[in-house]
Amino acid sequence: MGFVGNTFAIVKKDLLLELRAKEAISIMVFLSLLLLVVFNLSVEIDTENVSRLAPGILWVVFAFSGILGMGRTSLSERDDEAYLNIYFSSVNMESFYLAKVISNLLFLLLMEMFTIVSFVILFDYERLIFALAPLSLPLLLGSFGFSVVGTLFSFLSTGSRFGEIILPFLFLPVVVPILLGGVSSTDIILNGSGGDSPAKWLKILLVFDLLYFCISLILFRYIIEE
Amino acid sequence: MLRLLDISKTYSLKAVLRGVYLELKDGEAFVLFGPNGAGKSTLLKIAAGLMSPNTGRVELTTDSHSHSSIFYIGHKNGLYNELTVLENIRFFQDITGSRNSNTILREILMEFGLWQRRNDPVKQLSQGMKRRLSLMKGFISGADLLLLDEPFSGLDIRWKEIILERLRGLKKQGVSLLMVTHLIKEGLSIADRIGLLENGILRLQCKTEEITEEEIKEILRGGVCR
Repeated sequence: MGFVGNTFAIVKKDLLLELRAKEAISIMVFLSLLLLVVFNLSVEIDTENVSRLAPGILWVVFAFSGILGMGRTSLSERDDEAYLNIYFSSVNMESFYLAKVISNLLFLLLMEMFTIVSFVILFDYERLIFALAPLSLPLLLGSFGFSVVGTLFSFLSTGSRFGEIILPFLFLPVVVPILLGGVSSTDIILNGSGGDSPAKWLKILLVFDLLYFCISLILFRYIIEE
Repeated sequence: MLRLLDISKTYSLKAVLRGVYLELKDGEAFVLFGPNGAGKSTLLKIAAGLMSPNTGRVELTTDSHSHSSIFYIGHKNGLYNELTVLENIRFFQDITGSRNSNTILREILMEFGLWQRRNDPVKQLSQGMKRRLSLMKGFISGADLLLLDEPFSGLDIRWKEIILERLRGLKKQGVSLLMVTHLIKEGLSIADRIGLLENGILRLQCKTEEITEEEIKEILRGGVCR
């Protein structure tokens, strides 16, 4: 099989594993719900300010829940050293990395859909549902950026004893530009913010996505070999 | 085919391997014996490219150093525990490009005593079954060089015999074997040459017919090399 075939085979395997184990999705969904409940109880949110607070709350939940789930997908490879099958196969490491990015992206998007629906219910903010179409681009670009960085760092950290603790410390500072782009573009879409266009922030998201993707693609091979 | 030249490895200032030279020809089986902590597994990992030596180098003259020409089976089985036996094998075949017809796959699974359990998740299998499945991957990988670290662990006497027979078959097909085992009798029955590793030094390398099981045991008990 070629690059695409190998990538597809690994994604298919990841989806099957997740369907059986339900580890990544359930952890992400549970944490996102927990965080939303905490925000609901701790921040005074009403119909006046919900629109202003929604972008920040949503992206914080996406980032924290996402990183926990992405850690699980790399652990499934480390458990029993299953990744060695891939290492000693004809699959190149770029294909392996891309497959893990796609798998994590799919899990992130699922979690984000769940988070958005939960947000609408918990904060009684139906407008979010109607804004889903324009929000889809920042969501996709932001999630891709999270997945690109999270996949790399999850493989880096799962090799260490305190991997799951280290992971957020590595991940969160690096994804600040993605968080900023995600929050700002979501804010513009939901609130208008003085007639600004989200295009500027989407471009920033795209640039950082590409930058992180290229760097991670190069570094991933070394992380696996280490 | 495989040459390990002046390999040295140090862990936390402790020398694990000291100037090891080892050459393995096409279709040859080399079995490494040695007491616990002698550095056997480390040497195997270095040969597999999973670890870098501090000094020395590994020369592999097959298929332009592609990982697909070698396959390593370590202490762990490299299996996805949530997937079934068949799913593990199918995935492995997908990424190694070694997909067999259903009839051949059925025959192989029957030979390894796993046909009846083909739809069971790997986590439900016994240790011996997991080991057989792991070895089966190595056998169907199509690799020119198999690196096996304690391949018989968890196997009963019947399965040891079957696996040995399979290994002999692979040798006849020109596959090279570099194996680490504590089982002297089994090791001698498959080896063309053996090596004795002690405190990171390859004390002895000889043809199988030049040494007896008793002599190896005597050396391992602390006797002197001839």
